[in-house]
Amino acid sequence: MGGDKSEVLQGTLDLMVLKTLESMGRLHGYGIARRIEQVSGDGLSLNQGTIYPALLRLEQRGWINSEWGTSETNRRAKFYSLSRIGHKKIEEETENWERIAATMARFLAPSN
Amino acid sequence: MELIRILFSRCAALFRRRRLDEDLDEELRAHIDLAFEENLRRGMSEQEARTEALRVFGGVTQTKEAYRMQRGFPSVETLVQDVRYALRQLLRNPGFTMTVILTLALSVGANTAIFSIVNALMLKSLPYAHPERMGTIFMRIQGPEPADERHDIDGRQWELLRDNAPSLISAVSAGLSSGVNLQADEKVEYVHAGRVSAHYFDVLGIHLAAGRPFSEVEDRPHGPKTVVLSYRLWHSVFGGDRELMGQTIRLKSEPYTVIGVMPEGATTPMNADVYTALQPSREGEGRGTNFDAITRLRDGASWQEADAEINRAWGSLSADFAKRNAGSKLSYYSVPLQKGQTAGLRPKALTLMIAAGIILLIACANLAGLALVRILRRTPEIATRMALGASHWQIQKQLWVENLVLALMGGLAGVGVGFLALRGLLLLLPDNFLPVASVNLDGRVLAFTLVVSLLTSVLFGMLPALATRKVDLRSSMAMRAGTGGDRLRLRQALIAGEVALTVVLLAASGLLIRTLIHLETLPAGFNPNGVMTAKASLDDARFRDQAAFLKLLDESTTAMRQIPGVQNAAVGLTLPYERTLNDAVTLNDGPNAGLQTGTDEVYVTPGYFGTLQIPLLQGRDFTGADGPNTQPVAVVNRTFANKFFHGANPLGHTLNKGTVIVGVVGDVQLSSGLNPVAPLMSEETMYIPAAQVNPKLIPLAHIWFQPSWIVRTAAPVEGLTAQMQRALASADPGLPFSGFYSMSDLLAKTLVTQRIEVALLSAMAGLALLLSTVGIFALVANLVAQRTREIGIRIALGSSIRQAMIHVGGTGVRASAIGLIAGLVLCVGVLRVMRSVLYGVHVYDAPTLLAVVLALVAVTLLAASIPVLRIARIDPAKTLREE
Repeated sequence: MGGDKSEVLQGTLDLMVLKTLESMGRLHGYGIARRIEQVSGDGLSLNQGTIYPALLRLEQRGWINSEWGTSETNRRAKFYSLSRIGHKKIEEETENWERIAATMARFLAPSN
Repeated sequence: MELIRILFSRCAALFRRRRLDEDLDEELRAHIDLAFEENLRRGMSEQEARTEALRVFGGVTQTKEAYRMQRGFPSVETLVQDVRYALRQLLRNPGFTMTVILTLALSVGANTAIFSIVNALMLKSLPYAHPERMGTIFMRIQGPEPADERHDIDGRQWELLRDNAPSLISAVSAGLSSGVNLQADEKVEYVHAGRVSAHYFDVLGIHLAAGRPFSEVEDRPHGPKTVVLSYRLWHSVFGGDRELMGQTIRLKSEPYTVIGVMPEGATTPMNADVYTALQPSREGEGRGTNFDAITRLRDGASWQEADAEINRAWGSLSADFAKRNAGSKLSYYSVPLQKGQTAGLRPKALTLMIAAGIILLIACANLAGLALVRILRRTPEIATRMALGASHWQIQKQLWVENLVLALMGGLAGVGVGFLALRGLLLLLPDNFLPVASVNLDGRVLAFTLVVSLLTSVLFGMLPALATRKVDLRSSMAMRAGTGGDRLRLRQALIAGEVALTVVLLAASGLLIRTLIHLETLPAGFNPNGVMTAKASLDDARFRDQAAFLKLLDESTTAMRQIPGVQNAAVGLTLPYERTLNDAVTLNDGPNAGLQTGTDEVYVTPGYFGTLQIPLLQGRDFTGADGPNTQPVAVVNRTFANKFFHGANPLGHTLNKGTVIVGVVGDVQLSSGLNPVAPLMSEETMYIPAAQVNPKLIPLAHIWFQPSWIVRTAAPVEGLTAQMQRALASADPGLPFSGFYSMSDLLAKTLVTQRIEVALLSAMAGLALLLSTVGIFALVANLVAQRTREIGIRIALGSSIRQAMIHVGGTGVRASAIGLIAGLVLCVGVLRVMRSVLYGVHVYDAPTLLAVVLALVAVTLLAASIPVLRIARIDPAKTLREE
């Protein structure tokens, strides 16, 4: 794996999943993984498998729901979608993340 | 809220593991399939598409593992795995497992049973409201002859206490429980009566189920005759009739008004069938210290205040005492009722608890030895697991889990054994022996058992667990299983330790056995064989009159002599082995003229000495001619004669102004009430004819004692007891016997404490010996198994089989010998504390110690030689080929 790719930071994956589900609607695990790869381009090294513990974590918190359904290629797969709580939490988490990102940016900016 | 949801979801996952695993498999398969299909669409070959899909996914197994960690509680799941693995390991070694569980079951069981009793006696609250506010009064004497004991009080002290201790609700009861005759529906029954003062039920905090307790008016001398029934009697005799309140029933042949019924299940320290008012005063029994006091602290008062009040109230007594005993100081203090009631049993219970603890230590030593051997045998397995990546912590955890599983299984078996042992023990105890209503395996006992089991597991598991820390991967892998001779010293030390403790237990129980034998084989002073005895209550209105009393004795004994096969019959207030009435006596002349002292006193009918075959040493027996209006006479025993007449002839001397000593009889063994220094002894006794008992003393003596009818037969007579009851009925149809006892029954009753001590301590010593034997056996057997090759080589090199046997067996014998010596040294220090319970045997009793040494030598040789016999079957050629 290339040295210039970022590892996924703990916690950021959850928000990526939530944002993906917000923009794309109901989606299966593979779809979510592909979407995250597409959005982040080559800047991120993601083992697709790592999204499954994240999905479970979010589901345990009640932010997303899951159900079995059929894929576009007629394959039985598990589909995820945002729950009511999840919709509310996205705002909170987004603000939270922006605050951290802004803080980090100030630290990293050349001191002048 | 979120936390709860997460917890719930994780917990739910624990129970749906299989289904969730299948779901996950399916989901991940779908993922790979979807990726595969997309790759195909992008133009990859099938092979490339699959490889790429898996590469991008990044490790299916790792994903599953991470997913499972997130899903349930991983520590719980690995614990379950560890427990399963432990169970498999234990099942693979059924011999080891069974030995451990049996050892634990016996040792934990012994501890459970003994602790149940300690719990019931000392820890469990008394079954009364606010038991911590209930007390009894002790007296403490400081000075040259110190004393500290429960204090019985007399009528004057009672009045002072009642009127001058406002911090307390006080009550008294009669010290001796008595038997009375209850007439109901033409039938007369002998029931146990408790005599209690007003407020007795208030002190106990008992609210009667019906009616009311005794009032102060009813508790005054000659007050109205009233009775409170126990719930059991109210039901069994009166059918639970509520109309009974205020009605009269016939008790002691007099009308008594029923005023109350005890609540169901309630008990008192007396545990009687009926309660009557004590009516205490300074007269009659109140002249002596015949009352037991109990107290309850009133709300807002403290024990310090109460004690100050008691000492003020009884200040004149302490002052008198100080005057009579220069340099001594007498004071009183309150003791919690439970502690006061069990004061006598406490040291015994603690001794047994210590013995049970020793059993546990011995068991631990055995188990540690076994576990050590087992762990050494498993070294290669452990080394393999470590080589495969198991951490040190994982190995340790696995060992501890195995220990815990064993401890819990053993503990469970121990509870079963303890339950059975307790049941057996309670069957052994006579009724009302323990001052508690019931002994159960309650929560506290079970918690104790759990702690003991876990403690055992820690103790016996520690050694092997420590041993694994030194496991060296390379050498262990290369080594064949089961050498590790360097642990032999440790195992021998364990065996020596347990043998030493066993020696102490054996010696202690040996001394108690010798004491019991001594007491049971004391020269009785009479012929106990062929005597049947029966008691009846004469605390009855019909027999308070002297003439009626004498008529009953005369007619009933005459009728009993008519029974075919009966040689003689008589009546006495008390019998040998029993506690006697104590009375004051004044010597009018002789070497101790003017001396006023105490003596045992027994009234007897003519023929008492003949029936019991107590030898008449001097003078004459009583005859029918010694009547109420003739010269008062007395017969004294040899101790009385020696003590007060120093070998001079006591005949013709007078006692109590006018009673002439007409005879001297031999001593008999009895249970002293005068100056008890041993459970059975002879002390000064004065016999008087029943016909000459002071008429005023007749009712009083019969409140305390139920006289005994005795008959002697040459050979067993069929239906003797029924014929005795008929003979009594011919003299008085309404008088029941309370029961029939042989003299050996009476002896057993007197020595019941000693018998129980012997039974329990011997059982524990036997258990200790068994465990030690198993320990020695296991040590040697294990060595034989471990060293089969070495022995084979030795034999091949010319050593004889006998030498090989001695070489291996010697390790067990040496360990046992060292333990024996250490145990004997321990005995020197420890056995001294037993001095107070030994009679007729010295603390360092040579026969006892010799028996202990012989027993240990015998079992050691047995345990060491059985396993070495296997050496004879070792074929050197075969063992060498195996190499």
